Amino acid sequence: MAKITRTWWGESFLDVLSISMDEGRLKRGRAYSSPNRLLKFDINQRSIKATLRGNINHYFGVYKEPRYKAEVKLTTFSAKQWDNIIAEITHNAACLSQLLMNEMPASIEDVFAKQNLHLLPERSTDLISHCSCPDYADPCKHVAGVYYKVASLLDRDPFLLFQLRGMDVNKLQEKLALSPLGKALIDRWNDGEQPIEYHLHRYSAPQPCPLKPSTIQQFWQGKSVLPEVENSMDSPATTAVLIKKAGDYPLFWQRDNSFIEIMEIIYPRIVDKNKLAL
Amino acid sequence: MNVYHGTWLPPSNADFNNNGQFVFWIETPTHNKRKNKTIKHPNHLSNLLKLDTFLSSDLALTNALINKLNPEIIGCYATLPSADNRPLPSSEMANYLGDYPPDDYHWQNWSMTVISMAQPLLFLRELSFIASFNNPKFRLGADLLFWIRYAQQLRQLVRQHQFIPVMKCHQPARKAARLKIYTGWSPAGKHYEEGLQAFASALPSICTMISDTKSKSMKISQPKAIDSIDLLRHFSEQIVEALVIKTPITKQILKKLKDNWLTNALGYDESDNPTLPNDATGLSTEDWKQWHRWQKEITGQAQHIGFSLGVRLQPLDTKKETQWQLNFYVESSKDPSLKIDLAEWWLLSATQQKQWQKNLGEQFERNLLMNMGHAARMCPLLWQGMESTHPASLIVDLNTAYEFLKNDASVLEAAGFKIIVPSWWTPKGRKRARIRVKASGKSAPSQEKDTGTGYFALPSLVQYQYELSVGGETVTEKEWQELINAKSSLVQFRGEWMELDGGQMSQLLELWQQQEQNSEELSVSDLLKQVAEADEDSIEYVFDEVLTDVLSRLQQQEKIKPQNDPEGLQGELREYQKQGLAWLTAQEALGLNPCLADDMGLGKTIQIIALLLHEREQDKQSKKTSLLPTLLIAPTSVIGNWQKEMGKFAPQLSSLIHHGIKRAKKTAELTEAMAGHDVLITSFSIARRDNKLLKEQNWQRIVVDEAQNIKNPKSAQAKAIYALKAPHRIAMTGTPIENRLMDMWSLFHFLNPGYLGTALQFKRGYETPIQRDNDVHRSRQLKRLVHPFILRRLKTDKSIIDDLPDKVEQKVYCNLTKEQASLYQAVVDDVQEQLEEADGIQRKGLILSTLMKLKQICNHPAQFLQDGSDFSEMRSHKLARVNEMINVALEDGDSLLIFTQFTEIGTQLETLLREKHACPIHYLHGGTSRKKREQMIEGFQNPDSDAGIFILSLKAGGVGITLTQANHVFHFDRWWNPAVENQATDRAYRIGQEKKVFAHKMVTLGTLEERIDQMLEDKQSLADNIVGTDENWLTEMDNAAFQQLIQLNRTTIMEA
Repeated sequence: MAKITRTWWGESFLDVLSISMDEGRLKRGRAYSSPNRLLKFDINQRSIKATLRGNINHYFGVYKEPRYKAEVKLTTFSAKQWDNIIAEITHNAACLSQLLMNEMPASIEDVFAKQNLHLLPERSTDLISHCSCPDYADPCKHVAGVYYKVASLLDRDPFLLFQLRGMDVNKLQEKLALSPLGKALIDRWNDGEQPIEYHLHRYSAPQPCPLKPSTIQQFWQGKSVLPEVENSMDSPATTAVLIKKAGDYPLFWQRDNSFIEIMEIIYPRIVDKNKLAL
Repeated sequence: MNVYHGTWLPPSNADFNNNGQFVFWIETPTHNKRKNKTIKHPNHLSNLLKLDTFLSSDLALTNALINKLNPEIIGCYATLPSADNRPLPSSEMANYLGDYPPDDYHWQNWSMTVISMAQPLLFLRELSFIASFNNPKFRLGADLLFWIRYAQQLRQLVRQHQFIPVMKCHQPARKAARLKIYTGWSPAGKHYEEGLQAFASALPSICTMISDTKSKSMKISQPKAIDSIDLLRHFSEQIVEALVIKTPITKQILKKLKDNWLTNALGYDESDNPTLPNDATGLSTEDWKQWHRWQKEITGQAQHIGFSLGVRLQPLDTKKETQWQLNFYVESSKDPSLKIDLAEWWLLSATQQKQWQKNLGEQFERNLLMNMGHAARMCPLLWQGMESTHPASLIVDLNTAYEFLKNDASVLEAAGFKIIVPSWWTPKGRKRARIRVKASGKSAPSQEKDTGTGYFALPSLVQYQYELSVGGETVTEKEWQELINAKSSLVQFRGEWMELDGGQMSQLLELWQQQEQNSEELSVSDLLKQVAEADEDSIEYVFDEVLTDVLSRLQQQEKIKPQNDPEGLQGELREYQKQGLAWLTAQEALGLNPCLADDMGLGKTIQIIALLLHEREQDKQSKKTSLLPTLLIAPTSVIGNWQKEMGKFAPQLSSLIHHGIKRAKKTAELTEAMAGHDVLITSFSIARRDNKLLKEQNWQRIVVDEAQNIKNPKSAQAKAIYALKAPHRIAMTGTPIENRLMDMWSLFHFLNPGYLGTALQFKRGYETPIQRDNDVHRSRQLKRLVHPFILRRLKTDKSIIDDLPDKVEQKVYCNLTKEQASLYQAVVDDVQEQLEEADGIQRKGLILSTLMKLKQICNHPAQFLQDGSDFSEMRSHKLARVNEMINVALEDGDSLLIFTQFTEIGTQLETLLREKHACPIHYLHGGTSRKKREQMIEGFQNPDSDAGIFILSLKAGGVGITLTQANHVFHFDRWWNPAVENQATDRAYRIGQEKKVFAHKMVTLGTLEERIDQMLEDKQSLADNIVGTDENWLTEMDNAAFQQLIQLNRTTIMEA
């Protein structure tokens, strides 16, 4: 089964679950993160409320397919603590740059450590949860399912974690606006969603246009000199150079192995197998 | 001659799958017979049978290749400029036909039969390779040349991994149809986008005018094209995607892609079976958005950012170099000279920053942050430098600095970031541990400079000594060993930083220990070969004073000290000719065999003559035994010129022509005949026929003039010349020999056999990589190899220009053929009798008509006979020579004028030259209309048109017009008045002429042409009052003088 999350922070988030509950519940809980179990899922500021489809269970006296309501939260930090943390982040270009690229900054825990805090939950007490199911254990598998879902969302939106930890987004924006690099990050939030581009054809279809006036000579020969192409048979300085810019584990890559590593095999192979034409 | 055309043809009505195809068509010169008003393009090869076999018969492609190209004959439509219900010919065809564009034309849709090719990259490369051999049967149109070049661009992009997987959303037109998301591949990135812009502006419009659909009406008032950039994108996307999909992917790789859409993009289905990419991807718009955001990071910003981010590595403290610093800086894209370190940037005031941002583009901070993030992703080390409000730099230790240099720097550079590293790391400043080959010149008895020349006596052998060297300094074996044991790869040795590779150093040590045992002796040419081919990473050469001196003379030819005029030279060498002489003598003293490849008109002949004289001068001084003769091999048409020039510049040199039926046939005869002669001149054909005879003689040297005649190593002619042996060999040619590599190999095989390896080795090692694959490294290496042997001065070189007058006039002497001679004699005999009886007007008429007849004979027998017989080179050495010289001029890219006083010659030359050359050819004569005359001049003078030929009748074209595009002027026949000839020459040599003009006056030896030329030369007899503008003054001669004038000197006849 594919991993729920492919980012280090998502993974780290799930680590806390494994110390908070037994392996059986954890394993079953995973099934509850799928859409056919997780019927409703709402993030409301610092808390997440969900409705899940449970199982008929004669042992617990459940004879009709039940609906359970679960709520999960993380322990939050005080406004004062957040002030300090936000100040740290806005002064760290590495953090800002990674947030700009929608990544959790690699050194984020150093920032929190300065306040004697940690961003990612570490102990079971960092998790606060409640479920309407009859299971005596807390957290139960339904709660686990919700956390799994949260973890998968974190991959795409590291800010969610800040939010769950009680950060005031307005305050962050306010602080960011004070530094030029911080403003850059705000800009990005205002970019909004990219509209979908539709293709009528597989390949860019040449658009008709009126023929530009030219002499007969230019009609046949072209208007400017052909550009030079410097050809060398050398392999590139680094393989798969273009895609490396965008980092590993792009969102569309839901596998556990490294995207870059496999592309580093595929690119040279394409060149190698097409020697005749190249 | 046909012109080949081709272009990429996208479909005009297609559903989602809009595959295009590469179409190839053949424009023909013949106007096919046209029945009624069909829309079929009348001048293209549409014969299905011929098209069917075209690739195998005309292009001689192998069956295996044809199968890959999967050719298919299809129909399509082209909207072309047309007039008189015909499409106008392409520029290339118009040049060949001598057509001029009409004033008025309209647009018309024509149907064409074309060949569609499945693998354009493969086809275009083969085609360009075939065309590199200059087959006179066809020429490539500018459209095909464009696609050949663009194909190179696309190949380069693929080789550099500049393409990415893509997703495409498609909403079928049907109502309620499901949105489909397809996968595929596309070239992407900065290089691709920049290339599209540059190529689109060079795309010939014809490529945008072909369609698979017929237009509504045949005549078109407003022609529609298609967008150039779109066309290139369509081609690039389809071709790159096809390459990827055709790549077989192993199960092992597919396993690592399981359940991801890349499997589909690579052309495999869920069970890993090859399939065509389809819409069964199961992708959602959410997936598309994820992909889109990802691709935007890669491609989206390239065009819009106004700056480049750079990283500079430098020591933190110049004294203590254990700590290093990586500094961020930004460079304006608009003006790359504007650079600023981020450390400085943050210190600027807001106003100053604003000022700067004009050059760095909008949203600077955001782009900076994004760029730094991208750089740090590729080189995570950089994150450390960004942990502050004002990121500027980071400090690293020695090993990290080394890692950065070794790996990250090139990765960042390849990803488009700017990198500055210490000079000792750059290829130029890099210090290496290498084996040092100490070469010293051996031979010169006294190692002192010659006081006269300032040069050392030249060594013929080179002695080698091997040493270990680090950073250019000799080290002991112990020091070397210590360095091998050093912990870090980056070491400071004797105050300088360098990277050492312990493994390689151990290997080199072993190699050194072996080589130290035997000290070799090599020839200078072996040394040149070794130096050119040496692996710079492991071997360095140092030369003693003598060899340094030698090599600088060979490699820096322009700096060579000129040699004074040799004793006995009648006339003066120009400065560059003196340098040429010095170079030739140095080459021979070094045991090298050179190629003198100066541009036509710069006087190669006189340099060789000077060499012969110089040699005799030296010989006299050293009182050695007398010199052996030199064997000179030249085209038959040049033999007379050689003898004439030798007589003129070095009368003391005695030459013998070995040609004709009466030539010596046996060794003893030849030895006897040669006694007392310095030079034996023969033709290529006799050198082949009498190969055995010539091989048996001992020669001082063999000189091959117009050495392009031995360019085909398989020809009997070349083989015969290779077989001749002499201590010295010289090749002379005016054509640029570096252009066709196998020709150059052949030349070197004559000069220095083995130097460029065997033909097969050369083909594999140089010809194929350079000519077919455009390999720059190989090409540079080859240049290093051959450069010391070739002296090629161009008439456009600054130093040459200063040495030459603006107008260089030269006589070109040639002999009569046997046929010409007998006709000539007959006319002379005939006129002798008639002259006795004629007087007055009759006598005058007789003289003038005789002159006319004799001049016609000197030009060509066919002109005199007027019997429609063959206007072949075999029958006139003059014609042969002019043709050879035209070839050379055109190969050099020069335009030329040919003047003649006979319209018959003009017409026949035009026909002959059109068959031989695809360049623009114009012929202006008395019957040319004024309008056409203007078109011709305009066409010829257009700086954008190819080098061409302009034939002019002396009367119609001798005055009033400007043809400064030409820099060679040929006077095919002589006019007996130098003023008229000069006026003709001045068509090219006048205001606006920026190049030197070379006038070549053709003179037939032993005939009235030579004698009148002599009279004109001899200014005493040239009182202006005698010479009028016409030939009447000649009729004033008395009978005896006239007979003397026209008499035939039979010794100058030369069989073809």
